[in-house]
Amino acid sequence: MTDRLRVALTEVSTAASAFSESTTDYDQLLAAITRSCARALKSTCSLSLFDDDEVMLTPVAGYDDDPKVLAALEVMLQKPRHYERSLVGQLSPASGNAFVPEVDLAVMRERLAPDALEFLEIANIRGFIAITMRVRGETLGVLTVLQHDRTRPPLDDFDHEIATHLANLAGFALSNARLFRRAQAELVGRQSAEQIATDLRASEALLDSVLENIPAMVFMKDAKELSFVRFNRAGEELLGVPRTQLIGKSDFDFFPRDEAEFFVAKDRETLRANEVVDIPEEPIRTAAGERWLHTRKVPITDEHGKPRYLLGISHDITRQKRDMELLEAARDVAEAANKELEAFSYSVAHDLRAPLRAIDGFSQALLEDCAEALGETGRDYCKRVRASAQRMAALIDDLLMLSRVTRTIARSQNVDLCELFRTSVATLQASEPGRTVETEATGMLMALGDPKLLAIMFDNLVGNAWKFTARSPSPKISLRMTKVNGECVYCISDNGVGFDMAYSHKLFGVFNRLHTDAEFPGTGVGLATVHRIVTRHGGRAWAEGEVGEGARFYFTLGDTKGR
Amino acid sequence: MNGQVILLVEDNRDDEELTLRALAKSNITNRVVVVRDGVEALDWMFRRGMHAGRPETDVAQVLLLDLKLPKIDGLEVLRQIRANSATKLTPIVILTSSVEEQDIVRGYDFGANSYIRKPVDFTQFVDAVKQLGMYWLVLNQPVPR
Repeated sequence: MTDRLRVALTEVSTAASAFSESTTDYDQLLAAITRSCARALKSTCSLSLFDDDEVMLTPVAGYDDDPKVLAALEVMLQKPRHYERSLVGQLSPASGNAFVPEVDLAVMRERLAPDALEFLEIANIRGFIAITMRVRGETLGVLTVLQHDRTRPPLDDFDHEIATHLANLAGFALSNARLFRRAQAELVGRQSAEQIATDLRASEALLDSVLENIPAMVFMKDAKELSFVRFNRAGEELLGVPRTQLIGKSDFDFFPRDEAEFFVAKDRETLRANEVVDIPEEPIRTAAGERWLHTRKVPITDEHGKPRYLLGISHDITRQKRDMELLEAARDVAEAANKELEAFSYSVAHDLRAPLRAIDGFSQALLEDCAEALGETGRDYCKRVRASAQRMAALIDDLLMLSRVTRTIARSQNVDLCELFRTSVATLQASEPGRTVETEATGMLMALGDPKLLAIMFDNLVGNAWKFTARSPSPKISLRMTKVNGECVYCISDNGVGFDMAYSHKLFGVFNRLHTDAEFPGTGVGLATVHRIVTRHGGRAWAEGEVGEGARFYFTLGDTKGR
Repeated sequence: MNGQVILLVEDNRDDEELTLRALAKSNITNRVVVVRDGVEALDWMFRRGMHAGRPETDVAQVLLLDLKLPKIDGLEVLRQIRANSATKLTPIVILTSSVEEQDIVRGYDFGANSYIRKPVDFTQFVDAVKQLGMYWLVLNQPVPR
């Protein structure tokens, strides 16, 4: 065996083991191919690979022991090249194997395209071998060996044979590496596909449990046939039909014709418009009788925007609807009752007073015209008749006031309570000019409330204080305000006869009186009116007192929160 | 002076009697014409129907009008009197039982000159009638004819 053969065999076997080791690392394999080839043939080696279409060649690796040559090579072999314009493509398209030991530019000019010729000239190539790598019917690329060192013997048939073997080996190694890569990619792809499937199953399971447990009927219909493809538990419970009987059927199989037609019309409308349709109220006949639904119909389209399914979500609003109807009925009744009360009050005001006027008036006529005939007892009786008639008139007036307080629509305005207090005092003073009562309510005391109702309340409270201080040696009435836990508490106090706290609970009831009419006249309606006014303002009223020690009437006007 | 009458529109016989008594006690000597429902009141004012033949010289110096009346109510009577150019200046005093706010407001709205609630206490009623007569029959200067 010659030294040359031994060296070549060593190079080839080294290359073979390097190639097989590099099966899993593609870039390392490309480098190993060019390096082995360059060393075996003591030349420059470059490797270009075909794109998928097997037309364009892209340089992927190059090697020369001399780094300067390598750098120059890399610059020259950057661009992809059409196979038909490559050295081998032009010189030996049939065999795919070109061997030119000595480049004769004159001959080459005849056979090569100008750019290929230019490359040979510029790189000062002496000779070259270019081999197309074909493995298992696949054309992989071109391995090119370039000799530019003119001090060495030119490339010969032995070099050509070794290059051909190396190209063959490299081709198999590349093919294997590619197969490996493809297999790996497929494996990865399969794994991610499995992951996607798992994720999909998980999100489907989530959707399923949401649909199953949502307290609204959810159904899905096929867009074409409008037959049910999906149905949830709330839907089964609502309709009283198991989904196994529903899937694949249409509305016409379950509902009366007019209802089914309505549903289907709404379905078609939803799908045609391709937008959500809201049906605030629709009746539906179920196993448990008629129910009312609030339904939203949603078109579900495929990736091309064509309707594929119709999604329906229905809330059972039967109860709300029934409650609303009951509420409306109750309101109508209340309104009617209020109207009736108004008519009643009007008639009380007008009709009940007329006979009282006659009783009082004719009793007085008797007293004037027949005084002699009546005698003293008769005249006394006539006076009692008149007093009773007038008392009844006062009762009627106070009751009317009480009912008016209830009927009045309260408005909220800024009201000066001190002003109301002084107005009430002034009215009382005018009715009894002879009395001297010390009053205390200076400045302003602003509160939010209905001015008319509050005026009525002050007339009552101040009127009471005025009345019950009639026998006090130095009567005094005052209005004060204190804040208790941020709430305004108003107090009208007097130093009159007071009352026994044991009866304080009876103070604010209608017709409840703690004094006889002989002691202090009154109807027993005033404080009931006060209580109602305070309540209508969202406040409270209470009283404190002691017999002979005066009374304190407290009230609030519901000003605690956000007023 | 003889033609100056008080027109009392009152359906309640007791109230009529008491009003007449109160007027007498107040020394008001004007002739009082009593009509008992809204239709009759308008007939008298417009000299038509049952009062078509009444003397043209009779003129209502003041009209005492109840609101709650048979057939046509007081507010409608008021409206028609005010709508007619011949009668629109007649002083009209509403004399009624009602102190419902809406009645008072509508009464004035329809052109009443005064609104008086009949008190139950006859003494007070006499006082009210006395003041009323004093004002409309003595103090008030009517529109010159």
